[in-house]
Amino acid sequence: MSITLDQLTKRYQGVPVVNDVSLEIGDGEFFVLLGPSGSGKSTLLRAIAGLSGLDHGRIALHGRDVTHVSARRRGVGLVFQNYALFRHMTVAENIEFALRVRRMRAAERRQRRQELLRLVALEGLDERLPGQLSGGQQQRVAVARALAHKPEVLLLDEPFGALDAKIREGLRRTIREVQRELGITTILVTHDQEEAFAMADRIGVMNFGRLLETGSPQNLYTHPATRFVATFLGAANLLLARQGIDDTRWGAWPTAPHGAGMPREREVVAVVRPEEIEVARSREALLSASYLGHGIVEEVVFNGALERARIRLDEAPDAPILAHASGDGGVLLEATRAQFEQRAFAITPGQSVTVGVRRAHILPTPLSSFTICAPNSSAAERLAGNPFLLDLSTRMKTRIRRYVEPMLGGSMPIRATPASLPGTTVIAAAGDVTSEAKWLLEHGVEEILILPEHASAPQRVLIHWTEDSARKATLAMSASVLRHLAAEAIYVDVLPEETLAPERSSGIRALLDARSEARASHGLEIRTEMRFGVAAQALEQRLDESPGQMLIVGIADTSQLAGEFGSLLAKPRWPVLLVHREREAPAHSRSAA
Amino acid sequence: MKEGQPTVLPGFGLTLGFTTFFLSAVVLLPLAALVLLAASTPLHQLLDTVASPRALASYRLSFGGALLAACINLVFGFIIAWTLARYEFPARRLMDAMIDMPFALPTAVSGIALTAVFSANGWLGRYLAEIGIHVAYTRFGVILAMTLIGMPFAVRTVQPALLEVQRDLEDAAQTLGAGRFYVFRRVVVPAVLPAILTGFTLAFARALGEYGSVIFISGNLPMKTEITPLLIVIHLEEFDYRGAAALGFVMLAASFVILLAINLLQAWGRERLVRRSA
Repeated sequence: MSITLDQLTKRYQGVPVVNDVSLEIGDGEFFVLLGPSGSGKSTLLRAIAGLSGLDHGRIALHGRDVTHVSARRRGVGLVFQNYALFRHMTVAENIEFALRVRRMRAAERRQRRQELLRLVALEGLDERLPGQLSGGQQQRVAVARALAHKPEVLLLDEPFGALDAKIREGLRRTIREVQRELGITTILVTHDQEEAFAMADRIGVMNFGRLLETGSPQNLYTHPATRFVATFLGAANLLLARQGIDDTRWGAWPTAPHGAGMPREREVVAVVRPEEIEVARSREALLSASYLGHGIVEEVVFNGALERARIRLDEAPDAPILAHASGDGGVLLEATRAQFEQRAFAITPGQSVTVGVRRAHILPTPLSSFTICAPNSSAAERLAGNPFLLDLSTRMKTRIRRYVEPMLGGSMPIRATPASLPGTTVIAAAGDVTSEAKWLLEHGVEEILILPEHASAPQRVLIHWTEDSARKATLAMSASVLRHLAAEAIYVDVLPEETLAPERSSGIRALLDARSEARASHGLEIRTEMRFGVAAQALEQRLDESPGQMLIVGIADTSQLAGEFGSLLAKPRWPVLLVHREREAPAHSRSAA
Repeated sequence: MKEGQPTVLPGFGLTLGFTTFFLSAVVLLPLAALVLLAASTPLHQLLDTVASPRALASYRLSFGGALLAACINLVFGFIIAWTLARYEFPARRLMDAMIDMPFALPTAVSGIALTAVFSANGWLGRYLAEIGIHVAYTRFGVILAMTLIGMPFAVRTVQPALLEVQRDLEDAAQTLGAGRFYVFRRVVVPAVLPAILTGFTLAFARALGEYGSVIFISGNLPMKTEITPLLIVIHLEEFDYRGAAALGFVMLAASFVILLAINLLQAWGRERLVRRSA
């Protein structure tokens, strides 16, 4: 491996800007770090170059641990967005800078310089000053300069940011050719997904300091694991769907309680790319398998190769639901159509059409939407204004539903037909939380987010499960939540006070297992901590240590709520996410991945 | 200037007219009067005044002291500007505002303040005297006053230039393998050199013309701590206008030559950059 990053963390005023990033980049690979501004990608690049320190983690280049090696001895070449050329030096002097520092003889320097200038196609410009060159030429000089000392790794920090489209294209090609010719391992940082697609062997997408996903451009585009990657890499219609045992259906969650014989469904998020949407005259003319509904074309924009259309679906019980709540409540779909589709069926605004889906990708996240559950509508309204919930739902681009259940938390007996609520249920951490949670879990709800009144986004998330049956689901849930927060994740294992040495080492094994499972199954980097005592008490102590924390806890038995976790839940100071999975999983239970 | 190209201010002719008028009325005319006055003096009398041992000693102190003060400001002004431009610390804004104080203070007040601190029984002078360093009424004191007066010029010209030098340049140099001192010498200093030279020039010119603060701390001993501006005033007080004008002419001529030389040096530096690349 050329570059190995191991759990890099960099905090700025307590907030992690680079959050537990681990990554391996192979020899000669062209890796693109993609993310919006402020996602921590540039900080990560600077850390690899040795220009910014780390709070945690290790960096190895070609197997050499360089975590504590200064920038000048790391052997990396760095190219900046604003070129950062030395303006008082000629092109030749700029390129020879690194060689001069290394006291190379003038003749050798000249030879190397000419090689490099040929490589970046700037022969004969040796004696120019940077001020006399165009932006594209200056960036070529910067690339040549960064390669002069034959670095092991080339780092490019938004190198095309200051250039216009035409020049960008040429420089991209040059950089890719140079990279291939030299076989140098390269990391490019950008916020432009088109650029990432054009250049990358592999892309890593960052948001909130986390490396969310890595993969080939094709794979990330067609099979994203997170909704951020789905929407950041190209356009996407995010729809809520109901997944049964062997089919996926569009349409609203049934308002009536499930009949006893009805199979249980779970709510999932489907990614439908605009080019996967088929527009046809009628349902019979539709070629794709999945019918979405009828609608009216609202807008058609022609941009050369493709045509972009916005189609508003008619209201119908089986119409799909957008994952995010739109202002008018309607469903507005985005579709792009190639020339042949336009020729086969021309559309104009105002036209009535039928819409189908050629291919939909179901995100593996268990966090689809939120449903507030409250005993009366004013309590529900209050909870809907909770800053943490609003923050989270905005970042997730998902909707918050309200469900008023007067029976909630009462000592009423369980109704004959348990009602299932879509998505993650949210309740207020007020009143008798324990019995409310218990009541919901017994009614078929599996995840409950318990929110104190003024909860804000946490900086640290503690993860714990009491039973192994809840492990998978808890990790999956944690991974989904953490993708939307700039927070550190810590798995806390609690061993009984009087634990003997052999059992302690098995506890450490459990910690390591949790860590590698989180990484392998969810790409989530977590840290681990071991505590001693009674689980609920130890967690409570840990939560009391500093503000801004949140707890995600997996349980197998509703009786644990009143017992062990009774006092922890009774004090509503931190957001708590309860994940419930029975010990013997029934055959049709949800898959947790 | 290209014809017909619109600019913010109206008309090239008009602006050039104003420039010429202002330079004439405010600078050239008074200076010409000074030259005429000096020129109307018989030559031997002129030489007696401007080449007298007392006058020569005052030139040495005025020019030498101003040069030395400008050099001190060059070094410390750069350090202060660097600190203010590069670091964030609690009293930074306060310190930043304090830099301009010598601008605003009547120079006589600076002189009195310096004397209070550095005279033989002053706050600091007391202890300095014990170890044999006398500041007040010595050349040391003259240079101190000149340094104080010129300091804001040195800081204020270098500071914006330093702010403009991108940190990326230093980062780039580091990743290319350069050590700190190398980066400073080959990257930072060349980038701000024009500003440093301008600051030096301004500080020098200011120190040369300084009168108010110096006369308080210098003690004005002829041949020892007497600066040329003071000698001119002494001639004036004796109603020797011709003598005063003659001395003034010498100062004027000398400072013009020095300032011109520095300006040419800067122009040469700029040209070298362009020429090398042609």
